[in-house]
Amino acid sequence: MDHMTSSSRTQWITGISVVVVLFVLPVFLNEFGRTGEYWIWVSTEMIIMALFAMSLNLILGFGGMVSFGHAAFFGVGAYTVALLTKKADFPLYLALAVAPITAAIAAAIVGWFCVRLLGLYFAILTLAFGQLLYMIVFQWYTFTGGDDGILGIPRPDIFGPTNFYWFCLVLFLLCFFVMRMIVSSSFGLSIKTTRENLERAKFIGINVKRYQLLNFVIAGAFAGLAGGMLAELNRFAQPDFLHWSESAEPILASLVGGMYSLAGPAIGSTVLIFLKIFLQQIHPSMVELWAIVLGAAILVVVLFAPSGLVGLYQNICKKFQS
Amino acid sequence: MATPILSIEDLSKSFEGNQIFSSVSFSVDEGELSAIIGPNGAGKTTLFNLITGALVPDKGKIIFQGRNIVGMEPFDIVRLGMARAFQRTNIFPRMTVFENIVIAIITRLKGNLRFLKPWNSSKKIERQAFEILQSVGLADKADQQSGTLAHGNQKRLDIGVALALEPKLLLLDEPVAGMSPDERWETVELIKELWNKMNITMVFIEHDMDIVFGISQKVRVLCYKSLLAQGPPSEISANKQVIEAYLGEEV
Repeated sequence: MDHMTSSSRTQWITGISVVVVLFVLPVFLNEFGRTGEYWIWVSTEMIIMALFAMSLNLILGFGGMVSFGHAAFFGVGAYTVALLTKKADFPLYLALAVAPITAAIAAAIVGWFCVRLLGLYFAILTLAFGQLLYMIVFQWYTFTGGDDGILGIPRPDIFGPTNFYWFCLVLFLLCFFVMRMIVSSSFGLSIKTTRENLERAKFIGINVKRYQLLNFVIAGAFAGLAGGMLAELNRFAQPDFLHWSESAEPILASLVGGMYSLAGPAIGSTVLIFLKIFLQQIHPSMVELWAIVLGAAILVVVLFAPSGLVGLYQNICKKFQS
Repeated sequence: MATPILSIEDLSKSFEGNQIFSSVSFSVDEGELSAIIGPNGAGKTTLFNLITGALVPDKGKIIFQGRNIVGMEPFDIVRLGMARAFQRTNIFPRMTVFENIVIAIITRLKGNLRFLKPWNSSKKIERQAFEILQSVGLADKADQQSGTLAHGNQKRLDIGVALALEPKLLLLDEPVAGMSPDERWETVELIKELWNKMNITMVFIEHDMDIVFGISQKVRVLCYKSLLAQGPPSEISANKQVIEAYLGEEV
């Protein structure tokens, strides 16, 4: 037991240090003028994408279901914020509160069909629904602006880059704690049993499909919030937010970071975005190498650290202890 | 005294034209410890699958505690008080032994839809879980990942998970399959003890005749798509039909 409490204490200390660094980061970056401002923008995007990756991992890592359509709910959230703030003059706060609700409704409808299927068939159906939503947004010019998207989302005056960064960080931390509570709740344990053994879960009395659907909806809601935040950061929403390639990003992030931990996908997502931008900074043409770097990174992870960076870190800690 | 907890009436099932059962009927009395035997392919596990709702019969009724459960979902049948342990261990491998038991208790108490309270915050559930772990002899392995347990212990855990559901009727599919001779008898003693202590009706499938005739009050023989015979062990072991059809080569 002593070992348990000491390891959870180090976890808390690490967590608090990371949060403090994250809060102070923009103050430090502001010293570097334009470059600093750019990196604040990048960091905000990292926070948002980390939330998106964590939301997917509720289904992927904790629920054991591979979804290729998660970006659809991210996109629904983005368009909710875009449409409400631009066309209905909603204040940003309210629009961001509605985004997870509309995304959850979309996830409930899509999920209702998808949880009827298992494994690969589930994955393909989420892909199909995701692309369906993408096509609707892409084609519906009068409502979504079609392939142009929605540009010029208003930005409240108080949200300079630094303030908006802090705002997103606070939202992220709130979501992090709520997700943490969810995965360690009775519901979270029920979801894990469906991941571990569908048949046994059924035979202890768990209505597997109902729990999978609930989990799908919760994950969709968090993705919707992340989408709404990204729309506000970019000040536009575009159909690409819903595209299946966008759905792949949180999957890759979870793979790299480690899907059996809560923070893993967030770490993976941040590392991947950092690598991509780092490459870009060396020379703009290097971006073309991104696919190769990404492929290599994933190859290394799959072969040498199948439980991701978090798993690698845990293994190293264990080695040092013994 | 003897009221049936489970009645099978006129049960038939076929797979792609292959008849597995034709019009099988029997009933299990409350409080009984009984065995189902039969040659390989007689459909013993299929019978369990039909009773627990994993399969739907073509014809017939399955009355559990006065209610026809044909067509009900497995998880709803479990909630009526029927649990099973599996022939091949069927646990949650990347969860601890303790978690395996706790989730079964939480599900029995219908507490699965608590989203924000930690699952391990209830002392009462923790106590119950340890009682069950003690009764199946796994209390010292509570924090171990269940997938890393030895085979025999995994089977015990499987039984523990079923017990955590506080069933009225417990179906055990070859509870000692794959165990070493010592483990076998230990587990048989355990089953007998649990049955004595917990007031559960138990039906088990088993190949080992020493075990079957050693502990069961009643034996049912499945053979050739139907129930060949049922009765107390002494009667079954003397039954000519049974000896001919099944025990013949062995006894």
